[in-house]
Amino acid sequence: MEQKSEEPSSSSNENKKEEDSARFECNICLDTAKDAVVSMCGHLFCWPCLSQWLETRPERQLCPVCKSAIDSSKVVPIYGRGGDSTDPRKKIPPRPKGQRTEAPPQSFPGFQWGGGDGVGGGNVHFSFGIGIFPLSFVASWFNTPIAGFGANFGGGNENQQQQQNQPGTSAAPGSHQYQEEEYLANIFKYIGIFMLIWLLFV
Amino acid sequence: MKLEMSNIAFTRLQRECKEVVTNTEIAQTGIMIEILNESLTDIKGQIRGPPDTPYAGGLFDLEIKIPDSYPFSPPKIKFVTKIWHPNVSSQTGVICLDILKDQWAASLTLRTVLLSIQALMCSPEPKDPQDAVVAKQYMENPALFKSTAEFWTVRFARGKSGENEDYKSRVEKLRDMGVREEEAISVLSCNNWDLNKATVYIFS
Repeated sequence: MEQKSEEPSSSSNENKKEEDSARFECNICLDTAKDAVVSMCGHLFCWPCLSQWLETRPERQLCPVCKSAIDSSKVVPIYGRGGDSTDPRKKIPPRPKGQRTEAPPQSFPGFQWGGGDGVGGGNVHFSFGIGIFPLSFVASWFNTPIAGFGANFGGGNENQQQQQNQPGTSAAPGSHQYQEEEYLANIFKYIGIFMLIWLLFV
Repeated sequence: MKLEMSNIAFTRLQRECKEVVTNTEIAQTGIMIEILNESLTDIKGQIRGPPDTPYAGGLFDLEIKIPDSYPFSPPKIKFVTKIWHPNVSSQTGVICLDILKDQWAASLTLRTVLLSIQALMCSPEPKDPQDAVVAKQYMENPALFKSTAEFWTVRFARGKSGENEDYKSRVEKLRDMGVREEEAISVLSCNNWDLNKATVYIFS
C-alpha cells in the first residue's frame, strides 16, 4: 500500500510492483517481512510473527505454510542492505543468530599457540607436538577458562570475553555446556601434570 | 502485547478483505465477503453452491467471527443458511472442518478457508460427520440424500431449480397441522421423508 502512494503512474507498473513486494511478504501477517527469517522449508516470515505462532502451539511446531517440522533454532535470519534502526535483539524473544562456520585455520600441525583466538571453538586447547611439547602444553594451560589463571597471564580474561561475544564459538557462562567444558579442561590439565611428572621421574 | 496482536489481525484482515473484494478471479469462484463492523471482527461470507452438486445454484451465507488472537487461532465460521450436508449441523450450521480446528495454520486466509468450505461442499466426509443423521443418509441412501440436499438448497439457499413436488406436499401437510416450515422440513429430512414417522416424532 505504501508503494502505491510513491508511484502514482501507470496501473500496470503498480500491479507489477505490488506483485514484486508480495514475494517478500510474511506468510503470517501478509505484510512486508520485518526482522525476516526463512525456515528450512524455504518460507518467509517476520520473526515476531513466527515466534508467536510457535509459542501458541508448543506441542506442534509446524510450518504454517507447508506443515513441515520447524525449529526456531534452525530458521535463518535474512539481512538485507536496508533494515530498521531498532535493535532486533531488544525484541523478545531475540531473533536467532545466523550460523557461521569459520574458515579452516592456517597453521602447522603440532604447533599451536594456545593463546590464539580460539579457532575451532572450545576453551580446551591441548596439543602434543614432540619437539616443542612443553612449550605448547604450557601455552594451552594458560588458556583454561578459570578466571584466576587467565587474569594473571596478560589478557587471558579479555580473550575469554571476546570469545563469548562471538556467536556460536563458546558456551554461555553458567550454562550446562560451559560447566562440562570447564570440567573437561580440568581433567586434561591433571592428566598433563601427571604425564609431565611421569616424564621427569621415570 | 495484546494491542500489538490485534494490530496484526486488523492490518492483515484489511488486506484479506481487499483481496477478496477487489479480485475478480476470486469473485468467479463464487466467494464473497462483506464487512459488518469497523473493527473487522464480524464478517459475512457467501459461497455459491458448486456446480454438479446438490448445492448448485444456491447462495450460502456464513457467519465469520474473528477472534482477538487471529491469525494465530482460526476464525469461527458457521453456516447461517441452512444446508443438508454430512459435515454441517442441519440444526446450527456448525462446520466440522479440520482447518477450522486443530489443523489451522496462520498462513490460511479468509479466501483459502472459504475455498476449503466450498471444496467440502463438493466432497463430503461422512466418516467424520458433524451431523450423524445426514451422514447416515448420505452413506445408506445417496439418492435420497441428493434430493433432500437439493430441496434444502431451493428452500433455504435461494436455489432456482424446480422444487420436488412430492416433498413440497409433505411439508405442506405438516404445516397444515401447525408446524413451522423450517421444523417440518428438518424433521421430514431426518426421517427420510416418511410423513407418518415425522408426525409421530413431532406430536409425541
